[in-house]
Amino acid sequence: MTNLDKLNKIFCEVFSVEESALNSEFNNCKVEGWDSVHQLSLTSSVEDEFDIMLDAEDILEFTSYDNAKKVLAKYEVEL
Amino acid sequence: MALWEIKNVALRGVTGTVPNNPVKSAELDIFTPEDAQLFDDTVGIKNRYLAPDGVCASDLCCDAADRLLTGLGWDKESIDVLVFASVTGDYKTPPTSGILQDRLGLPTSTFVVDLPMGCCGTLYAITVAGNLLSAGTAKRALLLIGDTASRMGSYKDKSRVPLFGDAGMAMALEYDTTAEKIAIEMNTLGSGYQALMTPHGGYRHPIDQEKSFVEEDFGNGIIRAPKDALINGMDVFSFAITKPPISVKKMMERYELTADNVDYFLIHQANKLIVDRIVKKLKLPLEKVPYDLQEFGNLGGASIPMLMTYNLANELQTRPLTLLCSAFGLGLTWGTMLLKTKPMVICPVSYMSKG
Repeated sequence: MTNLDKLNKIFCEVFSVEESALNSEFNNCKVEGWDSVHQLSLTSSVEDEFDIMLDAEDILEFTSYDNAKKVLAKYEVEL
Repeated sequence: MALWEIKNVALRGVTGTVPNNPVKSAELDIFTPEDAQLFDDTVGIKNRYLAPDGVCASDLCCDAADRLLTGLGWDKESIDVLVFASVTGDYKTPPTSGILQDRLGLPTSTFVVDLPMGCCGTLYAITVAGNLLSAGTAKRALLLIGDTASRMGSYKDKSRVPLFGDAGMAMALEYDTTAEKIAIEMNTLGSGYQALMTPHGGYRHPIDQEKSFVEEDFGNGIIRAPKDALINGMDVFSFAITKPPISVKKMMERYELTADNVDYFLIHQANKLIVDRIVKKLKLPLEKVPYDLQEFGNLGGASIPMLMTYNLANELQTRPLTLLCSAFGLGLTWGTMLLKTKPMVICPVSYMSKG
């Protein structure tokens, strides 16, 4: 499983969506139910999966599928 | 730097009371079963005890105080200081500590004070009462720390309702020249005050019939009016995972503490995500970090004494312990306390029925 597959799986599980829903429009403004619990669940799963520890500001930045990829790049997670 | 080394003061006993009204996450109206499961798994708070209308923090604290005084065998006439640390007092005025002096039958010579300091309530109460006792002119203090935080907000606010539980704790301090010093470090970031607040009801924005009760839908299951307490989850999370670990680390360095010479790290039980993160950041051994948030939720200032009562009763009663306590919240304020205890009285948690 590639890193992108792993990231997609996390998003799909946290938001109960199909992988096809993950695109540049997938963000906290457009996705119903994207609240702090979902966001923290997302970041917590990402940290476990990729064995990293996100800084507070990066957790706050985790507000979209695209941003998630940008943040992970900072931690040298190749997608 | 706000650092105290309080000499000649010993913690003699602790207990707590919760309303006998356990509520599981899935029983909360605001959650679908799936939401409740995600909340349980992520935030870790699976149960909380909620005070019914009419039950105040002072009622819970009063029960705890009466039981603790009996357990200690202390004459009420011997109490010199009563601290009530709560943001949910009986009235806006007068201070609830005065009412409690009367309800508990303490002497009129008692020094009383209210401390509305939220989740750092225990650290503030020990700082104030400890410094009052340290000189030895006053000998005994009763610290009552509790809140009915569930009654402060909108029942339709999904960002707040599931987080909090209600409780009232009692702690007893006594002048003792053989006691190990209690070290407390406190900090304040007032610019962050809006992260946890109740916008209307004070004198900046008094209750207004036309504005204070008007509910607004903020989306994602958050409906509240300006009279309701609010929590900005992401701001609080960001604060809580950043500032408190620095304070803990500073205290560990200052007092040469390690995971080996500290028996337990008592971290304010805000939620599992925050506590887990602090543990991870400080590389603390999990077996030395007790959790009770799964049972009681976030108890605000009562969090640390509840950990002592619920998780550490046996050990606190039987052997000396070195505890490093971290609290953070409202204000925003945060701090760390080094507390070396001798065997003390711990009365079990009481589950109080209304009336």
